Amino acid sequence: MSDEFQPATQTELCRWVSENAAGVRHPIYPAGGRTALDCGPAAGPSGITLATTGLTKVLDYPSRDMTITVEAGIRIGELAAVLSTAGQRLPIDVPHAHRATLGGVAAANAGGSRRFGLGTMRDYLIGVSAVDATGRLFKAGGRVVKNVAGYDLCKMLVGSFGTLAVITQLTLKLRPIPESARWLWCAFDHLWAIEHVLARLTTSAARPVALDVLDGRAAGDITASAESGLPSNRPVLCLLVEGTGHETAWQLETLQSEIKPFSPHSMEIVNANQTDAVASALTEFQIGSDDPLTFKASLAPSRTIEFIERASDAGCSLQAHAGSGVVHGHLPDTVTSPLAARTLLEPLRDIVRSCRGSLVIERCDEAWKAELPLLGDPHPSWALMRRLKKQLDPQGLLNPQYTFENP
Amino acid sequence: MTSANAAQSDSLPAGFVRQLVAIVGPEAMLTARDEMLVYECDGYTIEKNVPDVVVFPTSTEQVATIVRLCNEYKLPFVPRGAGTSLAGGCLPIGGGVMIALTRMRQILEVNVRDRYAVVEPGLVNVHLTNHLKGTGYHYAPDPSSQGACTIGGNFATNSGGPHTLKYGVTVNHVLGAEMVMPDATIVQIGGPCEEAPGYDLTGLFVGSEGTFGICTKIWVRLTRDPAAYRTLLGIFDSVKDATQTISNIIGAGIVPAALELMDQGIIEAVEAAFHFGFPLDAAAVLLIEVDGLEVAVDDEARQIVEICNTTGAREVRSANSPKERQLLWKCRKQAFGAIGRLSPSYCTQDGVVPRTKLPEILEFITAVSARHNIRIVNVFHAGDGNIHPILLFDERDSEQVQRVLAASDEILNRCIDLGGSVTGEHGIGVEKISFMSRMFSPADLEVMAAVRDAFNPGGLCSPMKMLPTAGACGMEHIERSHPGRKAAL
Repeated sequence: MSDEFQPATQTELCRWVSENAAGVRHPIYPAGGRTALDCGPAAGPSGITLATTGLTKVLDYPSRDMTITVEAGIRIGELAAVLSTAGQRLPIDVPHAHRATLGGVAAANAGGSRRFGLGTMRDYLIGVSAVDATGRLFKAGGRVVKNVAGYDLCKMLVGSFGTLAVITQLTLKLRPIPESARWLWCAFDHLWAIEHVLARLTTSAARPVALDVLDGRAAGDITASAESGLPSNRPVLCLLVEGTGHETAWQLETLQSEIKPFSPHSMEIVNANQTDAVASALTEFQIGSDDPLTFKASLAPSRTIEFIERASDAGCSLQAHAGSGVVHGHLPDTVTSPLAARTLLEPLRDIVRSCRGSLVIERCDEAWKAELPLLGDPHPSWALMRRLKKQLDPQGLLNPQYTFENP
Repeated sequence: MTSANAAQSDSLPAGFVRQLVAIVGPEAMLTARDEMLVYECDGYTIEKNVPDVVVFPTSTEQVATIVRLCNEYKLPFVPRGAGTSLAGGCLPIGGGVMIALTRMRQILEVNVRDRYAVVEPGLVNVHLTNHLKGTGYHYAPDPSSQGACTIGGNFATNSGGPHTLKYGVTVNHVLGAEMVMPDATIVQIGGPCEEAPGYDLTGLFVGSEGTFGICTKIWVRLTRDPAAYRTLLGIFDSVKDATQTISNIIGAGIVPAALELMDQGIIEAVEAAFHFGFPLDAAAVLLIEVDGLEVAVDDEARQIVEICNTTGAREVRSANSPKERQLLWKCRKQAFGAIGRLSPSYCTQDGVVPRTKLPEILEFITAVSARHNIRIVNVFHAGDGNIHPILLFDERDSEQVQRVLAASDEILNRCIDLGGSVTGEHGIGVEKISFMSRMFSPADLEVMAAVRDAFNPGGLCSPMKMLPTAGACGMEHIERSHPGRKAAL
C-alpha cells in the first residue's frame, strides 16, 4: 500500500519531490484521475502516490488564439466544459472523461476513434511543464502553435506514463467544435466484406474522422451500453463524419453509396440525439470491465481485419480504429491462466510481427503480469529508452516498475 | 567531382582519410578547399566554416562505418541535406566530417492502403509529392524550399511551410526513422505502424537538428488530397487591417489550409519577378486558401470574404483556375528568390507570436526598421503567427551587418515578450543559440542537455548546436581549434 500526497500548487509539488530525492527517496507513483493506474507492469515497491488532482487551475485561455494553458489535474470533462464556452474542443476520445485528468491523458496517451481524422495527444500538446525525479521544474515548447525552439519534450512526455517526470502544466492547441457530427452504422454478415469496404474507402470522396470496426461481440456490448437499438451481434463498420450540416449530410450520402455495392446487412445513420452516446460507448469499450486481459495492438491498417477475425475466432471481443490500425481487444473469461493467455495471444503476435507492429497487454490480473511479455517482443530502441530514463531519473524513483525489459 | 587526394587534406590524419576512401570510394568525397566552399554554410550566411572533408555515403551501413571511424579518431561530424536550412543547423563547427546525404534519395516504398511511404533522407521533398500524383494522397509538409530541401533535413529541423496551419508540421507526419546513432549503432525508432511501446522517440528526434544522430530512412504519413480548393487574395491598404483580418478569421473558428501575408516591399519584388498582377500600391495582401469537400469550400470562402470586407479589404480576388492558383503559390513560395532584386544580401527572421499579437509585432518591426535604418519586408505564415521579417543589407558592409543583427535581436526579443518564440520552423542551429537562455530557464536547458546526453554523450555528432551549453564536457576545444568566420564582422 502506498501513502498519498496531494499538493495544492506546483511549487509545493516541486518542493516535496526534491526533498524526497534528497532524503528518504520513496518511489513516487504519479496519479491523476486513476483511470489508467492498472495499466502496465505489476505494482512496484511501496512508495508515495503523488496526486495531481489538486492542480486544477485554468492559467490562460486566449480563445481567439485557439490555445489554452491549464494545470495537469483538471478533469477532461471540466476542460471540455470550459472550452465549449468558446465553441472549442480538444478532440481526443478519453474513457472515464469525468474522472480522467489532462495530465493523466497525456502521460497515458489516451485516445480513441477520432484519432484517424483528428490525431492524438502528441498533435495537440504544444507546451508542457513538469517536475523530474530530483524536483527540478522544467518546461518545453511554449504557448504558440508553431515553435521549434529546443527539444520537443512534449512528445517525450506523451505516453511516458509518469516515468520521466510529473506533468504539472500543459498548453494545448485547440479546434473549433463542428456544427454537426453524425455516425453511420453499417452491419455486415462477414468481416471480410468490411476489408473490401475499407480498401474502397482509401479513396473515398468523403473524409470520415473515425473508421471503427467491431466484431460481433463488441458490437453487441457497444449497442447495449449506448442503448441505441442499433443492429448488433454482427461485424460492424461505423464511421463518423463532421462539419457543417451540409457537409455531414453530403458525406453520409456519399459513404452510403460507396458502401452499398459491398452488400451490408444493414446501414443506418445514427440519430443525431444518439451521437454522443454512441461515441461514449465506443470510447469506454477499450477499458473493459471484468475481462481477464485487455490488450492494444498497433498494426498495418490493411492487416486489421485478418487480426480481428483471428482474435474473434479465439473468443476475444474487438474494436479496431481501422484507419489507424489500432485494435483494442478483451480476452474471454474462459482464459483463466497466464499460460492460456499467452497461448491465445501468440498467433496474434505473429500477425503483428509480420507487419512490424506491436501488441501491448494493458490490463490483466496483477498476479499474471510477471509471467507475460506485457510490451511484446524486445526492441533495440528500448536500450535508448532506458538511457533516457537513466538521464532524467537516475535513482529510479518515478514509477520504478516500468523498466523496458520483459520479465 | 574530382577524386579525393589524401595529400590535399592537411587537417585530417592520413590514416583517417585512407579509411574513408575505403568506405565510400574516392568519387564520393571532397577534400579540396575550393570544392568544399559551397558546404561552408547553409541559408544562414552570416557564419561560415569549411569542413575538413565532405563524404557522400549511399547506404546506412556506409553512414554507420563513417560514424564509427569518426569516433575512433574523435573527429566531429555533422549531417547535411540540401543545405537550405536558415539557422546554421548544418554549419560544420570545428570542421571535421560533413556527411552529405544527398545521394541517399530513393523512395523505398509507397503504401497507399496503409497510408505511408518509406524514403531515404536525401530525397527532395517535392519529388515525393510528384511521385504520389494520381494516388489521391500527398506528403503534407511543404516548406517554401520544397523544390530543393530534403526530407531528412525536414526531419532534422521539423520544417513547416504554408500549409501547416491546417495540416501540422513535419513531426505530425513522421511515423518512424532508422537512425545511425552517434556511437554508430543502427536503431529503428517507430516504424510503419502508428504506436510503438515506450517513449515517442520519433517525436523527440524530429527537430533535434542532427544532435541525436543521423537518420538514414524515414517512414512518413501520407495525407488524403483535398477534394477542392478555393484560393483567395485579399488586398489591403493598411498592414494593420490585414493582420486584424487574420486575427478575426482564426477568432471566428475558421482554420484555412493556408493564410499568408505579403507586404508592399515583397509584393514589389514578386511582381517584378513573376508578373502576376499584384497591385503595387497595396500595403499588404493576404493569400488565403481553404480546402476540403467541394460542398464546403464555397461556404468557408464566403465567410472569409465577409471578414476581409468587414476589416477594410480594398478587394478580394479569387484564383479562377488551377493555373492561376499555381502561379499564386509560385509567387509566394519563390518570394525569397525574388528578394535578390531588392538587395545584395538578406537575413530572414523566424519569430512566432500568438496570432492575436500580429498587429502589434508588425508595428514593432516597422519601428525597428526605421530606428536601425534597415529596410525590412515581410512575407509570412500569418495564420500560425509565424513571422518572417526579411532584413535587407549588404554583407560587405560590416556596419550594416551589425545593424541587421541588432534589429533581428530586437524583433526576436519582442516575440518572446509577447509570449511567442524565436523560431517557428527554421530552428535554433547556431544562429539563435544565444536566445535559448532567454526562452528557457537554466533547469529547462539542463534537462534538454540531459536528454541529448542520453543519445549523444560524446558530443561529436553536430557539436555546438541547439543548446547554449558547450557540445558536451571536453568539447570546448572543437570551436577553438577551428574557428568559423563571420560575415564582415
